[in-house]
Amino acid sequence: MYLPDFDYYAPESLTEATGLLMQLGTSARVLAGGTDILVKMKSGLLAPSALVSLKNLHELRRIRWDADRGLAIGALATHNEICNSAVVQEHFLSLSEAAHKLANNQIRNRGTIGGNLVNAIPSADLPPILIALGAYVTLAGPNSSRTVPVESFFTGVSRCALEPEREILTEVVIPPQKTTGSTYIKFGLRRSGALAVVGVAAAVTMDGNVVRDARICLGAVYKVPTRAIQAEQVLIGKTWTNDLLEQAGRTAVGCCLPISDIRGSAEYRRDLVRIFTRRALKRAITQGHV
Amino acid sequence: MSQPTPAGLKSSARTYTHPGLPEPADKDYAVIGKSKPKIDAREKVTGQARYTADLKFPNMLYGKILTSPHAHARILSIDTSEAEKIPGVKAVITHKDVPTLKYGISPARWDENIFCIETVKFVGDKVAAVACIDEETCYKALKAIKVEYEVLPAVLDPLHAMDEDAPQIHPEYPLNKNTEIHQNFGDVDEAFRQADYVRTDMFVGNRTYQAPMEPHTATSIWQGGKLTVYSSTQSPHYFQYYIAREFGLPMGDVRVIKTYVGGGFGGKLEPTGLEFAGAVLARLTGRPVKMFYDRAEMFAHNRGRHRQYMKLTTGVNADGRILGVHADFIMDGGAYTSLGIATAYYAGAMLTLTYDFENYRFDMNRVYTNLPACGAQRGHGAPQPRYAFEAHLDNIAKDLDIDPLEIRLRNARKPNTITPNEFVVNSCEMVACLEQARDISGWADKKGKLPAGRGIGVATGSFVSGAGYPIYRTDLPHAAAMIKVAEDGTAATLYTGATDIGQGSDTVLCQMAAEAMGYTYEQMKIVAADTETTPHDFGAYASRQTLMSGAAVKEAGDEVRKQLLEMAGEMVDLPPERLSVRLGRISAKDNPEITLTFEEAARTFFVQKGPLMGRGSYAPPKLGGKHKGAPVGTSPAYSFAAQVSEVEIDEETGEVAVLDVWDVHDCGQVINPALLHAQVHGALYMGMGESIWEEVRFDAKGKIQNPTLGEYRLPTALDMPRIHSSLVPSYEIAGPWGVKEVGEGATLPTMGCFRNAIFDAMGISVNSLPLTPEKVWAALREKRKANGEDIWDPMACECFLE
Ligand SMILES: Cc1cc2nc3c(=O)[nH]c(=O)nc-3n(C[C@H](O)[C@H](O)[C@H](O)COP(=O)(O)OP(=O)(O)OC[C@H]3O[C@@H](n4cnc5c(N)ncnc54)[C@H](O)[C@@H]3O)c2cc1C
Repeated sequence: MYLPDFDYYAPESLTEATGLLMQLGTSARVLAGGTDILVKMKSGLLAPSALVSLKNLHELRRIRWDADRGLAIGALATHNEICNSAVVQEHFLSLSEAAHKLANNQIRNRGTIGGNLVNAIPSADLPPILIALGAYVTLAGPNSSRTVPVESFFTGVSRCALEPEREILTEVVIPPQKTTGSTYIKFGLRRSGALAVVGVAAAVTMDGNVVRDARICLGAVYKVPTRAIQAEQVLIGKTWTNDLLEQAGRTAVGCCLPISDIRGSAEYRRDLVRIFTRRALKRAITQGHV
Repeated sequence: MSQPTPAGLKSSARTYTHPGLPEPADKDYAVIGKSKPKIDAREKVTGQARYTADLKFPNMLYGKILTSPHAHARILSIDTSEAEKIPGVKAVITHKDVPTLKYGISPARWDENIFCIETVKFVGDKVAAVACIDEETCYKALKAIKVEYEVLPAVLDPLHAMDEDAPQIHPEYPLNKNTEIHQNFGDVDEAFRQADYVRTDMFVGNRTYQAPMEPHTATSIWQGGKLTVYSSTQSPHYFQYYIAREFGLPMGDVRVIKTYVGGGFGGKLEPTGLEFAGAVLARLTGRPVKMFYDRAEMFAHNRGRHRQYMKLTTGVNADGRILGVHADFIMDGGAYTSLGIATAYYAGAMLTLTYDFENYRFDMNRVYTNLPACGAQRGHGAPQPRYAFEAHLDNIAKDLDIDPLEIRLRNARKPNTITPNEFVVNSCEMVACLEQARDISGWADKKGKLPAGRGIGVATGSFVSGAGYPIYRTDLPHAAAMIKVAEDGTAATLYTGATDIGQGSDTVLCQMAAEAMGYTYEQMKIVAADTETTPHDFGAYASRQTLMSGAAVKEAGDEVRKQLLEMAGEMVDLPPERLSVRLGRISAKDNPEITLTFEEAARTFFVQKGPLMGRGSYAPPKLGGKHKGAPVGTSPAYSFAAQVSEVEIDEETGEVAVLDVWDVHDCGQVINPALLHAQVHGALYMGMGESIWEEVRFDAKGKIQNPTLGEYRLPTALDMPRIHSSLVPSYEIAGPWGVKEVGEGATLPTMGCFRNAIFDAMGISVNSLPLTPEKVWAALREKRKANGEDIWDPMACECFLE
């Protein structure tokens, strides 16, 4: 449990930062809150030759609402900043709630949304709700930047579309939408500081009791956070009933492939997917906020 | 209403009368019985308190231990040459550089070496150590030590450890049997023959770990021939004794000093290896050496709770009176004995305390496995059997259609009785505890009447107030104390070997000293747990200090008061019997006009007669029977407790939310109510963690899968229920002012209590700890299946993924 030696940089601008990444090559890594990367370095899983800290890039910390673009969250916004942000709460309360369910207070004080995404662990708490709300990320390279939907950002366990030797994730954008209700609920093995055994986000667009649109995303039960498209199909165009939600829950189980590990068996996780999908849908439909 | 006892069977306990002084009529105490603030609270909350790892000495080196990556392997060679070449490495040691004398905390089975010689016996077994100029260099040096191993087959399943063809871990202990116990009291077979109902149940207890907040650490310093060790320890005395023995030093040349300790819970009672390795490294380098474990190393060193397989058979008559019990257990001891002999005996011995039955058989095998050694953890061996027995008793109550609280009341032990295994119980308010728990929890309104998913359960517990015998054989008194009053009488310092590890013994002992002296608590100072400056005490384990150290302190305080009043008598010209002293004011009993301050009398004493000092010591009376293992579980006094808890279960996920816990304790006279209730909260917190979350898990090669606080899940504040900690009036004739223990006893009822509440809520029995959501979920599904309900199978649904 000791940090290996590394060079440390704290660039003053985004251009300088991406330039540094290019220059330092493959074994340099970005440092945001450090709650993940420092743990990995201490336990010997990762030994980057250099860390490029983003701490001076203050503009990456901002959270803004724009009627055209929607909610833009800087990559360096911490979980607690997202959780407590009035702007987030006004437009996407469910994201604020999801941030509150993550880890514990110490981690929420340091961990960032950018780190949560680039980290790309299947049980991460923010991706399901971001996917359900149709969010996309901006990846800035030295000369250009690109946007990628969060839904297609993850490519495997601890793997994502970001090119670490040249790109920095700068912001997460949730576009304005017609969604009438959304939520993220998680099953952890204690009430704080527990990774999700199963996490389910749901976003619905209701027309009275009829489901016009639905997006369901499952966390911790596949190599990447994954949409439960077939379960969404069960709902769309129908008048909701408890039975219908149960049916969607059962269908969602077919959209994942959980493993057995020390937090739960595959069988248990699959049953939890059914239960939590049904419960998440019910909350999204009945609680009356996005 | 009770049925007559079947012929030829003893059914209720023999009675006993203690020869001590009866309960005083006047209990108008000035200092004890009050929630005084902790004596070290200010240092701790301001960060001024320095724990062992905070200490720094000039020229200090840092030391680390290299451990085995294999569960069982032969050491073929160790090459330290590369490590020695690294700049900053000051010493590298292996078994060749240290005494080969085997040690351990249980004298009957010394089976550990400072470093492994021929084989390593678990992942984490100690192989070598380094001392370097800084921590970072230590890790480089450890990496550079080359150890060649021949991997051997390992014993990882305790249930197969005794198989004929199982690998042998210690050649001296065939069939991997570490401790075998067969105790028989009364006639259990006859009790079962005569019983109206006999039931057998099987339960499994989990391997848990103490997880104290502060990691183990020790700093060793040699000055000439004298070794000083600063250590995060529960017992400076045992450390001193074992360090001296290992190095062939007189005890006087070994000084062990405890600083502030961030929790122990049983895990810091025995030498950790850091003291031995550190002492050798410090000797070789001539410099102070600080050794420490990180979190994962703590888990690997372990000495936590044993996993136990517990088969219980009980015969009762039709009204639920217990006639006989057979406990048949197997215990996973891990690779070494640690405190495990005592743990094994405790597991069975403590089952006789809360209920009154006379026929009892206890069979136990504690086996060696290639896993980290288990030892003493809060409640020492007793909590899991207690869980098993309380669950078993609820099963019996249900079969006989008797209310669980009622069956306990019918069987509850009475005061002044002797258990079948010869424990003398003086005070015992078991019945009052159960009745109060019933009343304050609203049992009558809740039992059978709660909404779906809610349940209520009850369980009992009892624990020793100090062990009747020390860990190694010696005739030393168990506790001693000195009080020195300052020259001008404005302060008094208590010198005690008692060990405050956060539980507050420094505070209660100062309250007791002040009460005995007629002084104020606020003027007390304390020097504690330093084998050179403080008188001997065995330390913080077996919930012994309030009663045992307290008895020594009271004697010392009484001696100060006596001398002080003699002096005061001379000063005011009255016989000392006519004077009294309270809160530092001396007055004549029959003439309130005549007063004098403690300071005035103490100062005059010093001027005329020299230092005003008091001394005290305590040794328990000879306790226990003559059978093998009779000393384990003996104590001058036993605490008793009843707990009721209410839970709410998510019927789909199996998640258990504990809503309320009512704990009612009989712990004699209370010295500091705030600290007492804090102990109940803390013990309940630990009991709750072990009930629902905590479990040390191993992979197929014997490596711990969750040696972190992220994956070894202790409950958080958010998981805690509402706790109602309550007391029944009680007086213990064997304790100073009538005190008994509370620290460990409150861990005992909790696991069984939750299990019983779940049983009540859902009608399912989870027969292994911890009672995880997944186990509850699985049991609920089994039950629904058995009821013929249609259960949706999550494994059989259509898969849409390629
Ligand atoms: C005790 C504990 C509990 C945890 N519990 C949870 C939990 O319940 N739920 C959960 O989802 N997560 C949890 N985590 C994981 C993790 O801490 C969080 O996901 C956190 O959000 C990571 O953010 P960070 O800023 O600390 O990332 P860092 O550690 O700084 O970085 C993580 C990775 O992302 C890269 N990176 C970070 N920011 C950027 C960027 N802007 N552009 C490009 N690359 C970047 C880094 O190079 C690194 O590879 C937990 C971690 C700990 C230690």
